[in-house]
Amino acid sequence: MVVANPILYVALPLLVAFLLPLFGKIHKELIRVVPGLLFMFLIFNTVVLFSEVTSTGKPIITQIAGWAPPIGINLVFSAFSGFIAGIISIMGLLVWVYSYKFKKVEFDNSLKYFVLIMLVTAGSIGVVLTGDIFNLFVFLEIVALSSYPLVAFYRGRDGAEASFKYLIVGAFASIAILLGIVLIYSQLGTLNMAEISLRIGEMPEKIKITAFILLFLGFGIEAEMFPLNGWAPDAYSQAPGPVGAVFASMTAKAGIYTIIRLVFTLFDIDAGYQLLLGMGIITLVVSEGIALRQEKLKRMLAFSSLGQMGLLMIAFGINTKAAVVAGMFILFNHAVIKSLLFFSGSYLVYNSENKNIKDLFGFGKKLPLTAFLFGLGAFAIVGLPPLSGFWAKLSLLMASADSNLIALIALILIVSVVEIVYYFRVVNGLYFKKYTGEFEPHKPSWNASLVMLILAAVIVTVGLYPDLIYNYFVNAADALMDKANYIQNVLPSNFVGLN
Amino acid sequence: MSNLVIILAIFGWAILTYLAFKINKTLGNVFVGVLALALPAYFFTYTPSDYTVSVMGMSLQFGFTSFASLFAMLVVVLSSFALLYSIPYMNKKDRLGWFYMNFMFSVGGMMGILMSKDLVSLFIFWEIMTWSSYLIVIYQGKKVNKVGLKYMIFSAIGAYAMLMAIVLINKWSGNVNIEQFFASFPNYSSAAKLLSSLLLLTGFGVKSALMPLHVWAPGAYTKSPMSYTAVFSGALSKMGIYGMALVAVNLYVHSNMPIMGEVIAWAGAITAVLATFWAIFQNDIRKLLAYSSIGQLGYIAVGLGIGTELSVFAGLYLAILHGLFKGVLWMVVGAIEHRTGKTDFRDISGLIKKMPFTFFVALVAIIALAGMPPLSGFVGKWMLYESMITSNHFIMVLFIFLSSTAAFLYCFHFLYGLFLGQQEDEFLKDVKEVPVLMMIPMGLISLSLIAFGTFPGLIFKPIAQAMSTLGFENVTWRMSSLTNAWGNSMFLKPANFMFMAVFVFFLIIITVVNHKKTKKVGTKDIANGGEPIRDEDNLHYSVDIYRPFYRVISPIMKYKVETFYKRISKGIEEFFQFFRRIYSGNGQTYALYVVIFLTALLILSSTIF
Repeated sequence: MVVANPILYVALPLLVAFLLPLFGKIHKELIRVVPGLLFMFLIFNTVVLFSEVTSTGKPIITQIAGWAPPIGINLVFSAFSGFIAGIISIMGLLVWVYSYKFKKVEFDNSLKYFVLIMLVTAGSIGVVLTGDIFNLFVFLEIVALSSYPLVAFYRGRDGAEASFKYLIVGAFASIAILLGIVLIYSQLGTLNMAEISLRIGEMPEKIKITAFILLFLGFGIEAEMFPLNGWAPDAYSQAPGPVGAVFASMTAKAGIYTIIRLVFTLFDIDAGYQLLLGMGIITLVVSEGIALRQEKLKRMLAFSSLGQMGLLMIAFGINTKAAVVAGMFILFNHAVIKSLLFFSGSYLVYNSENKNIKDLFGFGKKLPLTAFLFGLGAFAIVGLPPLSGFWAKLSLLMASADSNLIALIALILIVSVVEIVYYFRVVNGLYFKKYTGEFEPHKPSWNASLVMLILAAVIVTVGLYPDLIYNYFVNAADALMDKANYIQNVLPSNFVGLN
Repeated sequence: MSNLVIILAIFGWAILTYLAFKINKTLGNVFVGVLALALPAYFFTYTPSDYTVSVMGMSLQFGFTSFASLFAMLVVVLSSFALLYSIPYMNKKDRLGWFYMNFMFSVGGMMGILMSKDLVSLFIFWEIMTWSSYLIVIYQGKKVNKVGLKYMIFSAIGAYAMLMAIVLINKWSGNVNIEQFFASFPNYSSAAKLLSSLLLLTGFGVKSALMPLHVWAPGAYTKSPMSYTAVFSGALSKMGIYGMALVAVNLYVHSNMPIMGEVIAWAGAITAVLATFWAIFQNDIRKLLAYSSIGQLGYIAVGLGIGTELSVFAGLYLAILHGLFKGVLWMVVGAIEHRTGKTDFRDISGLIKKMPFTFFVALVAIIALAGMPPLSGFVGKWMLYESMITSNHFIMVLFIFLSSTAAFLYCFHFLYGLFLGQQEDEFLKDVKEVPVLMMIPMGLISLSLIAFGTFPGLIFKPIAQAMSTLGFENVTWRMSSLTNAWGNSMFLKPANFMFMAVFVFFLIIITVVNHKKTKKVGTKDIANGGEPIRDEDNLHYSVDIYRPFYRVISPIMKYKVETFYKRISKGIEEFFQFFRRIYSGNGQTYALYVVIFLTALLILSSTIF
């Protein structure tokens, strides 16, 4: 197929990112129009590729520059990676629509903003699609390097500080990942993920585990795992409103993807699942607990986001098909719901300096639509039926019951109560506390309202009829868990059979 | 017609009503009225049929069991009356569309719960009911965090306990169908039996405000608009009873775990006593009724927990009846609030002259509540006592006796404090009888209470049918007489007529004899022992009316389970405050964490991997 190709996911955003300044020279409006067109094309790309994957039941493997794997770099568009790539492109389009007018004020800012968003998109989707571990590292670096300036977008002291913290911790991640890759390459002489997966048993036990730990650490930083996520709350809360959504729905997805691939595909270490599960539990409890004590809205959302990442790690750490399906569902929900919360939340505290929760008291009357949608998002994320969050939680709980993790069920539910407390405090304040009058409400532009309404519609529709997308989760889970199939598809000739 | 249609219609109608209120208030009220009339009309004429939906590989089934339709009748009747009552009652409030939408959502939720034949759809509708009622509790915007959040937290704890039970049952039974769960329950291991049923009980116990899970109830019942509280306390709390009956009877009685039934019964008995005590000392009418509700639900729990045929019968009878009379009483409170704007005993007195109709319905409902002949409450109490005695729960009889005797105190307080007593002309000047649309629901329910007093068979019939779902086949009942275990029969018609005749006789005698001595008194008309009375002194008879009694029982009233919960929640928050320090905001610390994590993993690698 000429029109749709996995390569375009990476190549086009990168191209646009470099050409955007030139477009700006031709016409100022172009820098805001072109990214949108690009995202639309990416979604089209996803639809075409996805229908192909569903009809053939096989992943699409693209070789770059004609070199066949394992020597050449390849992109793998499977039901799993393609699904995440699809989520990233769709969320990218929504972020674009949302911020279309957001950055109208200054030309320079808006150029910078869209270039960075393009880079984040290219990087995140690249991470998800690539079949080469060094390539993955490069894409991860692209994501990180474009995230730092996004965090420090407003040239204030706090933004710079947050960005700097991210930089420090991110540097550790880069080093650890690189070291891990070096260890693997030194032993196996390959960087192709399928081949690594095939031959991982050849590595000496000690080195294998060390490599695993290094990669786990590095990917864990990107996947916002406790205690490696110190950078995340600051980054989320200092970045401009839509960037919070970008982090939740794009970069965090790339991060969790890496760690899933590490545990599920690359290595054959069973304890990896348990480690993921354990770290997920700790991340969940700690983050949700801290979210309870936050006074600033965006920080609260950030910690809640970390909690969701913990939930994701739990789901994938359980490592049964039901749990992975639940994990895909949570991943989808997190992208949709958390974006809605960031989108609406950033309008609620738009004019407030400290973004404190008490600054948005009484905004229910001032910004009825935004407040309502925030409330809807809060209802959805704590898992109240008939919204989409409920089904994800239910399927995760059922999966943990199937694996006999009864204490885990209780824990998740207790944490859910905590979640209810802090979200409902905000919603109550939004509607029933007295408006302080200190901050003028800022009306969302029509495009922002449109995006929020679309997200809300998705939440309600999926909540009422989860079967609409449930099959995608099942397919994705199948694609992820069938390691032999992955290897066979990437390396048809080298495949020697996996017992 | 499939069952699901009725629920979807209610939800759709709720949204339409919201939109209608956006256009015009009158149009909105018409929408409310239409649902209030259409709901019973549809419910009592349609023929139910089963319906199955498949979601995410689970099959969700809908259909009425005869047990569920008993409760559905209560829900339909009470909701449609409360909706009618609401139209004038809520007239002057704003955001009516929001209120009615959530009102209808919770009605739809309740109907959904009763229609669900599997636990997942039951849970979904349960949660819909919970959040819609939560939105109504906070609708008036008073004490949203203290009352609203407390309600939500307790509901969430209950609901999540239930959810945990559901996923475990799904694992142990292989599916979530309720009947199959009951069928496979005897095969569970004893730990599984205990865990699943206790979790379910917690879930249902929260909604039925069983102690010690009741702390949300007084606030939530008080802060919602009274027209909704009638449904809230009358029907919504019965959803807890509905579930508890299923668990208690199907799991404990029929599966040989009678000890757990005893636990429920004792929890109910203690709830009945303590809640009644608390009700006695309330100065706010709404609080009084709220605690009284909790106490009454305790009786029902006793009936269900004992688990004999008669006791379950009595429990269900009391449940239906409580829905009816408490519905009236909340409407009475709403009527008083509507006309005077006050709900405190110390501000209200002597309303009988201005609101005679309201007084009459309150009188009927109070007599039914107190369980005196000739009204229907008597029959329920009779059966409850008999079932306790025949099943050898003699100490429990004492508890219930204490509770129902103590209940007379608040019943008296309610009637006397509000309608009788001193008359303040200034206060009564602007008070009028309530509008007709509010009278109709109160009047009709009161009439039914009178009718059931003499012909309890009218409710016995559906209850007897319902009992067959619970495994009690061929329950005998009579239209208008009671036969006890010792073979004595009581015919209600002559007994009640005699009772009424005696009552009327003495009423006439007392009125005639005391006619001349009667005088009108205001609140300042009091022997003051030489001390001047200041304006701010509240000399209402209702102030501290039961102080001597309070002195006697105050030692046991000191311990509030609420303080215990407060301590727990404070402890949790402080614990997380400690967590918060982990995120110091210092980049170096974060880098240090990374290093520590790496080192720890490397050191522990031999044990982990």
